[in-house]
Amino acid sequence: MRTRSLPISIGKAFAVAAILLWSLFPIAFIVMSSLKPGRDIFAVPPKYIFTPTFQHYASLWSEWGVFFNGLFNSTVITAGATVLAVTVSTCAGYVYSRNSSRFLNASVMFLIIVRLIPPIVVTLPLFPIINAMNLNDTHIVLMVLYATFFVSLGTVLMRTFIDQIPRELDEAAQIDGAGRLTILRRVIVPLAAPGILAVAVFVVVFAWNEYLFAFIFTATRAKTAPLVISEMIGSIDGVDWGILFAASTVQLAPVLLFVIFMNRYLVAGLTAGATKG
Amino acid sequence: MRTRSLSQLMPLIAPVHILILSVIVIPSLYVIWLSLGQSSFGQAQTFVGLQNYYNVLTDPAFRSALWNTVILVVVAVHVELAIGLGMALLFASGLPFRRFLLVAVLAPYAVSEVIAVVMWRFLFDPDAGPVTLVLKALGLPILDWSFEPTHAMILIALLTIWLHLPFTFIILYAARLAIPADLYEAARIDGATPFQSFRRVTMPLLGPAIIVALLFRYIFAFRIFSEVWLLTQGGPARSTEVVAVYLYQEAFSFNAFGTAAATAWIMVIVSLLLAAGYVFILRKQGAANAH
Repeated sequence: MRTRSLPISIGKAFAVAAILLWSLFPIAFIVMSSLKPGRDIFAVPPKYIFTPTFQHYASLWSEWGVFFNGLFNSTVITAGATVLAVTVSTCAGYVYSRNSSRFLNASVMFLIIVRLIPPIVVTLPLFPIINAMNLNDTHIVLMVLYATFFVSLGTVLMRTFIDQIPRELDEAAQIDGAGRLTILRRVIVPLAAPGILAVAVFVVVFAWNEYLFAFIFTATRAKTAPLVISEMIGSIDGVDWGILFAASTVQLAPVLLFVIFMNRYLVAGLTAGATKG
Repeated sequence: MRTRSLSQLMPLIAPVHILILSVIVIPSLYVIWLSLGQSSFGQAQTFVGLQNYYNVLTDPAFRSALWNTVILVVVAVHVELAIGLGMALLFASGLPFRRFLLVAVLAPYAVSEVIAVVMWRFLFDPDAGPVTLVLKALGLPILDWSFEPTHAMILIALLTIWLHLPFTFIILYAARLAIPADLYEAARIDGATPFQSFRRVTMPLLGPAIIVALLFRYIFAFRIFSEVWLLTQGGPARSTEVVAVYLYQEAFSFNAFGTAAATAWIMVIVSLLLAAGYVFILRKQGAANAH
């Protein structure tokens, strides 16, 4: 490699600093502010050195029990949506990878087109139907909605990942007398694990963070954490910012760690999802 | 392996299709029916033909919402593309701690729209926001986003770009990494300047990825709801409404399901047209490259 000139290196260093500032400063500032004593949050100029305190977390715990219910609901709904989406996408992706017919090709096209429909469109008919079925404000509604809006991407992704598994393995298992479900469970699922994780990352991030459906389809019992936080923003005059930042940090930390930990699968999923579907 | 008969495969693909049909496709088609009638929650519908579409398209509030959405999409998505492309090229040119930097760039992907609104509201708080203070110190105008509709739109655009830059960046970076290094080597041996090899090698080969990134971002930015709703609720005086917020207001604040449904189908049609337009361009490019 050629040695680079000094001005180019300096330019790059500035660009990298700008990128880091842009990506991380908003997150870091919220987390930092959640640890500041109340009077320091709005200090002008902002204080970057302060004695950290957990007082806002303590107040969050004692005053906003509903937020922790929200976290619980978010956890249940995210887990349910992820298991549902991953399971059905893997089954369908396997079929689409190993078989081809005019009907199957047309139905893949259909899956891709479905992704283009804005989610808010379906709230209009679903709102009265879900009310009529007495399912308003339940976990199951959000689980199914979140899973459904990712099964088309999930299926296309799983097909792409399963395509990379040699068919000879299926055939060998078949000769050994394995049925289709056994092949799927024993051969495909272990080898397609990176694809399964990629789909899981998408669904987990979406379900954990989603706002629109939670806003429309929940009221009290199934309210998710983002919705509780949005209500804190709404009542900003009554709520102190420290509690809001503490709640934001608690909501953000697990999903941020998850994305950091799973970054390889997220990148693989984004790349495959954009080029194949 | 022989292709199995469809009836044998059905049990494995049926769950996906049952979910999609019952949650997305049939409700969306039912919205067409809703859009042709006049009704409100819990009321029987009377058929009014295309009247709702006419009412929506001539409603000044809808036009202003559509205009806001178009400006927001065009500005945010193209700025995002420019930054994402610059970052992809920077990363491809070789950086130390590349994996760490990549993870840092991905971080906003994990952030909920709700939390992003908390962050950006606070960063641009007119009194104590750290960004506001920097702008003031530099003698630059601050964003008075709670009073000035234009400023609110700028803040929404910044927030959207921040949330979605990881997506655009990853698509472009992956495509850039897929360009074989020999092409640059060959260009260099032929005496190409860095700018020439960017124009003649990088850009043509990134073309399809750029179009894919733009297509997805146009379609997804067009449905923007949460950021606007949580930051301004479309106000003051409906001046920062976008199409999805207009739809929400019609349906759930004014109980006008007919016009809300018409708005919904206008959104679907615009999304499909955007997709069709891009597929057409992509095909034409593919054909042109083949010659």
